[in-house]
Amino acid sequence: MSAKQNSKKSKWALDFSVSKNADMPSPPGYNPTALVNQTEVVRDQRLVIKKSWDLALGPLKQIPMNLFIMYMSGNSISIFPIMMVGMMLIRPIKAMFTTQVTSKMADGAQGTGQRIIYILGNLANVALALYKCHSMGLLPTHASDWLAFVEPQTRLEYYGGGVSFI
Amino acid sequence: MRCPQPSAGALISLSLLLLLLSTCSALYEDQIKKRSVHVGALKHAHVDLKHFQPRVLLTTQEQVVASLCPKTGQIIWRQVLEQRARGDIKMLQVSGFADGSSDTAAAPMGSHLGFDMLTVQGHAPALVRGWNTNIGTIEWEWSIMPLHTERAQDAVWFYSNSILYHVVPAWRSHIEVTAYFSTSGHTTGSTSKIMAAWIKPESCLLSGSYFVCLDGKQLISLDLVAKSTQVIATSLAAEPSSKIETLPGLNGVLIVNKKLVSVNKDQAVCGELTSASYVVGSFNYRKVVAYADLVDGMLKINAVYLDNCSPVPELQMSVAFAEDYGTPSLRSFDCKLKRNDDGKGCLFLFATSAESIMAVQQGRIRWAREESLANIIDTQFIDLPLADTEGTLENEMKGKAGEFIPRNGDIVTAFMRRITAQALQMKSMFLHLIGLGPPPTDTQRAGLVRDSFGLHKMLVLLTRAGKIFGMDNIAGKHHWKLYLPNVAGFENAEQMRLIVQRSSKHFPLQPLCAIVAKFVNNSNGVLFRFNPITGRAAEGGLLQLDYQIKQFSLLPETEVDFVKGILILDAANQVHVEPKHATPLADGMYLYTADVKTAELEGYIVKYAGGELSCLPIWNVRLGGHNSEQQIISVAGKNPIEHVHSQGRVLGDRSVLYKYINPNLVAFVTQAPDAAHKSVLTLYLIDVVSGSVIFSMTHRKVRAPLNIVHSENWLAYSYFNDKVRRTEITTIELYEGNAQANNSVWSSLQAPFMPLVERQSYIIPTIVEAMRETITERGITNKHVLIGTASGGIVEMPWHLLDPRRPISSSTQGREEGAIPYIPELPLPTENYINYNQTVARLRNIYTAPSGLESTCLVVATGLDLFVTRVAPSKTFDLLKEDFDYILISIVLVVLTSGSLIVRHLSSRKLLKQAWK
Repeated sequence: MSAKQNSKKSKWALDFSVSKNADMPSPPGYNPTALVNQTEVVRDQRLVIKKSWDLALGPLKQIPMNLFIMYMSGNSISIFPIMMVGMMLIRPIKAMFTTQVTSKMADGAQGTGQRIIYILGNLANVALALYKCHSMGLLPTHASDWLAFVEPQTRLEYYGGGVSFI
Repeated sequence: MRCPQPSAGALISLSLLLLLLSTCSALYEDQIKKRSVHVGALKHAHVDLKHFQPRVLLTTQEQVVASLCPKTGQIIWRQVLEQRARGDIKMLQVSGFADGSSDTAAAPMGSHLGFDMLTVQGHAPALVRGWNTNIGTIEWEWSIMPLHTERAQDAVWFYSNSILYHVVPAWRSHIEVTAYFSTSGHTTGSTSKIMAAWIKPESCLLSGSYFVCLDGKQLISLDLVAKSTQVIATSLAAEPSSKIETLPGLNGVLIVNKKLVSVNKDQAVCGELTSASYVVGSFNYRKVVAYADLVDGMLKINAVYLDNCSPVPELQMSVAFAEDYGTPSLRSFDCKLKRNDDGKGCLFLFATSAESIMAVQQGRIRWAREESLANIIDTQFIDLPLADTEGTLENEMKGKAGEFIPRNGDIVTAFMRRITAQALQMKSMFLHLIGLGPPPTDTQRAGLVRDSFGLHKMLVLLTRAGKIFGMDNIAGKHHWKLYLPNVAGFENAEQMRLIVQRSSKHFPLQPLCAIVAKFVNNSNGVLFRFNPITGRAAEGGLLQLDYQIKQFSLLPETEVDFVKGILILDAANQVHVEPKHATPLADGMYLYTADVKTAELEGYIVKYAGGELSCLPIWNVRLGGHNSEQQIISVAGKNPIEHVHSQGRVLGDRSVLYKYINPNLVAFVTQAPDAAHKSVLTLYLIDVVSGSVIFSMTHRKVRAPLNIVHSENWLAYSYFNDKVRRTEITTIELYEGNAQANNSVWSSLQAPFMPLVERQSYIIPTIVEAMRETITERGITNKHVLIGTASGGIVEMPWHLLDPRRPISSSTQGREEGAIPYIPELPLPTENYINYNQTVARLRNIYTAPSGLESTCLVVATGLDLFVTRVAPSKTFDLLKEDFDYILISIVLVVLTSGSLIVRHLSSRKLLKQAWK
């Protein structure tokens, strides 16, 4: 009756009033007796490692794309190349600081290697961005960039005089 | 054309202007330009009040013919004539005045003689010009070229009965007299030669038609228009102590020992009068002799009738006379034509030894023109004193005068001091508001208070006559005047100097200026110290030195009273310091002198040991050339207050070319005649501390006039190229190279290797009269070269146009460096003329000074006229634009802020509503 009532109420409504014991039927297809398969765990582990290698190699894979973007954007200083260079510089740095998060997945045996590769890849991206900055002339690498800070020489001797008055 | 005076039209336009003032804004501040127009020291004058248009006709030492308004002294018209000997005005003859035929000055002025006024100028050729005196135009002109040019230099002219006589004395031999019809220039006959072996150049003059020579105790004279050439000898009571002078207006009358003497037996004079200056005029249809003397600061004017020597009581007056005008001499007078004249319509025109022109009427000085300003020889811009409140603040910040508080000492006490000072300021402001504050000082009442940008300054002008002016550089008002009689410039055309011994920065202490000059009587040196804000003598005022000044130099500030001492080298190569307490600072100073004629330079070092100063010669350089023909025509050092901000130049490949900034470098230019090349000009760059010649360069077929500008690491000079007959400018830049030998100190004694020299020449399509570089407080702003042209314009020439590194072929390197490709002709666009149409007649010099704003440079151009303005070579980058829209910006700000507040309120309300749903 109650079930009838319930079905009348709603198709999906659960009746909490009936079941007092926790002995609930298992969902169909669930075998509680089945144990965790060791081989599957190993395969998962391998998948995780594969996935995290993908992650670690990600920055390195970006390099050819970045090179292409760099080539396309040219060396002129205007808003879009500057934005691109900025993104290229900031993204890997950000990624490096979030290494802890990404490496959670790579706690396995090859975790350190992946981390190193990941950081190296990011550093390579940073270097690329810096090279781009350099070729755009944004880095103060020339003597002329520091010219404004060169102090005038203090003079040691003072003179006076001119055309003779007599 | 009448004198400018308020008329109905002017009143209407004034009221219209007042109406418009509410709608239009005033002139923008950086467009302020001031020009004052002058004519120069008086030479000939003629007051004419009887004409339908009363005027004062005059010619001046500056070779100007002008007409002044007798009421105000304003210029009705002015004609600036030829310079130098060619334009020398020998004679001014106003129609109907003081000639034999119509010598009652009441005779009608008219054009029946063919001219209003005629002038004779120059000697070879002599130019005779007839003028329309109403509008100042030349109506006709004729000229004669004398046979003997050198003899004609002493030629004199006189006018009698429509005939103009040209008198050429051949000293100790004869006189040649030629008569010309004054208006046409045709001779009336042949030149008559009058034998006169007694004429000597130093003691002869022409009085009317009489040629008079002084010979011991007698005057020997000759009437040049008389039929018979009879020599008349007039004996004098005593030998004259000063030069004899002529009295214009009376034929054959001279002033000898302040008394009148007549050599013309038809002309009786009142011989018992004694006066410094006489003039002849007419009063009540009778001829009178007026004379004026300065007695105890009062100018006493008297007159006597010429026919019976009885005094004219109507013309007697005495006028209070300010000391700074110098000694007056009466030059002309005239009275309005009316019956039973009371003398109130009479105008007396004076010229003074301080080169002023003044008019006296009705017992007071009607107007005075400061014509010494036509010959300014030095200027200085002086910061004005702080306002009282700011002064106390500054004082508090600095502590008591003399007491030195380290800047980064105790922050808490400094902060407390600041707070108390500001409280004091508030208090004084409050007291001022309710009218209980201290009364403003004289300078404050005159509006002489420093502004926040340091643009308002006191302009101190030193003139050749020895008169000093303190002038407001914005309002153009003369705040004070000083006159130094008996001082003069030095030998070798070196003028007096105006130097600043203490600036206005040391607040409770007043600024101090000094004038270095020569005493006329014994050619010893003279120092005159004065306060440039009040114009009063300071530190004892005039100081007569007991030695001749050969050269001088300023020393660094002393720590006691912040005065920069003056180090003087005397004729015996001894050194002296004034004031004495600055003597130790002279130790280690270098001095040099240049002898212009022999082109020899001498270098000295000053040593101070045991309380004694000594001066040792250390080097000498002879620039005279192998046959000692070279003469120094110009010497140019750098401005000692200059700061160089950028130490190098960025090249196309972004490397740095370091500037060779040698503060002890001086440029010398010599000129010598040359058989093959007409004239040769040589430039030497010499380090005057070590005496080493850094660089030299020779130009052939080139000659003066030379103008030179030397600044930072560059040099620009203009000269006349005789071969192609044009003015050219050569520019030179010196560089150390890609590295600095020593980047902390500069010592000329351990000077780096020879600099790299870049040079280039440009054609300038004008005649250059003066050149000067702009200067700013820190030297960050670009440098422009101000070029004064012969037409009176001042062109602002950016340095990148004069740059010697402008590439000949348009190479990429030059382009990346920002240099414009080389074009020989320099452009002179009209918008680069900083004085627009306000031309400066006879432009002679341009002076520049930094203002408180880094972007702005103060400029004063001197010549016959005076022009004051300011320039901003890199535009006013440190000021908001004059059209900055304050209202729009503030409206936008207010709207945005209030909008965001309202929106925040609305959004929070909406969130709350949603939460309740």
